[in-house]
Amino acid sequence: MRVTKQSIAIIGAGSNIGSAITKHMAGSKCRLLLFDRDIGKLQSLANTITEDYDDADLITMDCAHSCSWEADIIIMAVSHNAEKEIAENIREVATQKIVISITDSVDGNLKKSKLDPQTHAAKQLRNRLPHSKIIKAFSPGFYQQVADLDGEELFISGNDKEALEKVAKLAVSAGLKPVIAG
Amino acid sequence: MFDQLYENIQQYVSLTDKDWEVLKNNIRPKRMLKRQFLLQQGDICHEIAFIEKGALYSYSIDQKGNQHVMQFGFEGWWIADLQSFLTNTPSTLNIEVLEDSELLLIDQKNQQALLQQIPEYEKYTRLLFQNAYVALQQRVENALGLTAEEKYNRLIERNPDFINRVPQHLVASYLGISPETLSRVRGQMSH
Repeated sequence: MRVTKQSIAIIGAGSNIGSAITKHMAGSKCRLLLFDRDIGKLQSLANTITEDYDDADLITMDCAHSCSWEADIIIMAVSHNAEKEIAENIREVATQKIVISITDSVDGNLKKSKLDPQTHAAKQLRNRLPHSKIIKAFSPGFYQQVADLDGEELFISGNDKEALEKVAKLAVSAGLKPVIAG
Repeated sequence: MFDQLYENIQQYVSLTDKDWEVLKNNIRPKRMLKRQFLLQQGDICHEIAFIEKGALYSYSIDQKGNQHVMQFGFEGWWIADLQSFLTNTPSTLNIEVLEDSELLLIDQKNQQALLQQIPEYEKYTRLLFQNAYVALQQRVENALGLTAEEKYNRLIERNPDFINRVPQHLVASYLGISPETLSRVRGQMSH
C-alpha cells in the first residue's frame, strides 16, 4: 500500500456532487484541495468535514489553477460549460495528471452513456487537456444524495489503462466500488 | 514554469523546438509546500523531479530513528531515489520539501519514451548521470578521508548559499558529523 500521501483537487467542491465526493474522500488519507466559486459553500463544507473527521487533511483554495498545480489527481465536479472554462485555466498544470470528469447522467446502457470516452463532451475535454489522462466517472449515489456512499458503485471509463487502475484504487480507498465501464 | 529546466538542458545539449514541446508534454508540474513528502520510505520512486524553484532533501531513517541526509536539491537540480526509480524497488529514502517548491516530474514510462524519441535528451541524461556519479564518488571520498573542518570548507566552497538555506542539524547529518562538531567548526572559522 502506498505510503506517500496523494493530493486530490476537487473543483466545484461546494456543489451537491462536489460536496458528496469531498465528504466521502475525507476519510481516504489523501490531502484534499478544495475550490469552488461560491466561497460561502466552500467554507461551510470545510467546516463540516473538519468537525466530522478528526484526521481530515484539507485546505480551501481561491483558485482552480493553484489547486490543480498542487494536485496529483484533479476531480472536476462542475457543469459541462464550467468544465470548458476550467480546463483552459488549468491546462498548463494538468499535464500528465489524471483528470476525473464527473458525468451528469447516464442512459440505461452504460456503454452508450455519457461515460463513453468517445462522446462529444469527452472528446472536447481531451482536446482542451490533450496531455492529461481523462477519466469519466459516475455514481448513482452522488445524484441520489445518499448520505453514506460506502459500497456504492462508481462507474469509470477512459483511454488510459494505468489511470483507470489508479482511479479504481482511489475509489476503493474512499469506500466506493469501482466498475470499469470502458 | 520551465525556465530553469530549459536553461539547464541548454548547458549540455541543444533541443529543437519540436523536441522541447514533446519534452514539456511529458512532464507533470507539481507545486509542493514545506514539510510535504515527494516520496516516503517503502514506496517505489516512480518519478524523477527537476526543481524549478525551492529546495528538497532526501534522507533515510535508521533502526534507531536517526536521520541520515543523502542529498539536497535546489533550483536547477534533479532529485530522486535513483536506485528505486531504475530498479522499481521500494525506496529506502524519504524526499521532503525544505522550502515551498515548484517541481517538474517525469515518470518511468515517459522517461523511457523520451530517451528513445529524443537523442539529445538521451545525451543530456547520460551527461547528468556521469556528473552524478562523479559527485557521488567525491562525496564518498570526502566522507572517508576528510576532517570535519575540511568537509565543511569544501561544502561551502562549492555551495556558498547552502548554509543560509539549510538548518544546521541537516548540514551536520549530510556531512556525517554531529551538530556539536559543526557548531565548533563554524565557531572556529568565524574567528
